[in-house]
Amino acid sequence: MNFLRGRYPLAVAIGAIFGALSRFYGTELAKAIFGKDFGFYGTFFINVSGCLLIAYILTLAAENIRVISTELRLMTTTGFCGAYTTFSTYGLESKNFLDKGDITMLLIYFVGSAIAGMISVQIGVLLARSSPQRS
Amino acid sequence: MADLTNVLSIAVGAVPGALSRFYITEWTKAKLGTKFPYGTFAINLTGCLAMGFFFTISKGITGYPKELDLLIKTGFLGSYTTFSTYGFDTLTLWRSKQKAATAFYWAGSAVLGLGAVILGVVIAKLFVK
Repeated sequence: MNFLRGRYPLAVAIGAIFGALSRFYGTELAKAIFGKDFGFYGTFFINVSGCLLIAYILTLAAENIRVISTELRLMTTTGFCGAYTTFSTYGLESKNFLDKGDITMLLIYFVGSAIAGMISVQIGVLLARSSPQRS
Repeated sequence: MADLTNVLSIAVGAVPGALSRFYITEWTKAKLGTKFPYGTFAINLTGCLAMGFFFTISKGITGYPKELDLLIKTGFLGSYTTFSTYGFDTLTLWRSKQKAATAFYWAGSAVLGLGAVILGVVIAKLFVK
């Protein structure tokens, strides 16, 4: 599995540092704007925007709309988008709504993230396909 | 807010988190094939379990260092698990006309993820109050 050696892991690591820090500061920003219990606003926005970005880049690469090197693709998708978005915090925040007995917010956040994520993946694909073709 | 300690704690956790995800995904693709995103599925569920565990541990121990909390939860687990790949994998499954697998992966990741967080909390409560 040569794929796991050499420059590829480095590309993933570099993307991941920026992704994780963007998520942290995005969540902190949401807390600063909406109050300290509203960090999930940040997580929601991050997960939905990350879905759009990964679909955009992977579609550009997979459908040969742009020539994207493997290193750049891994850095932006597996590294950046993967670390930027998070599933574990999504699960934890859903559980917090469950604990509080706030079923309305649980459904909006828990189901809403999954649905909004899928919609933004579709938007990402459409944006990539509508970008001008370049040889 | 731009505290160097925070930045370093998160970065130190994020690199092994993302690399673990990368290696596990590639390993499962090589071993189990690419018909179903086994890697991402397992990663998100184990990450949720660990999140419930460390969330409860960090709340239950007085004087638990904030840096360690950022390193494990925000850095490692945040990078290890991924929502964007989950979204894109769902689309890929849908396109491959595996309707049942798509529904299972999409709803199953969310529901089992929530269950895994709760299980993590239950396990952690064996160690802390």
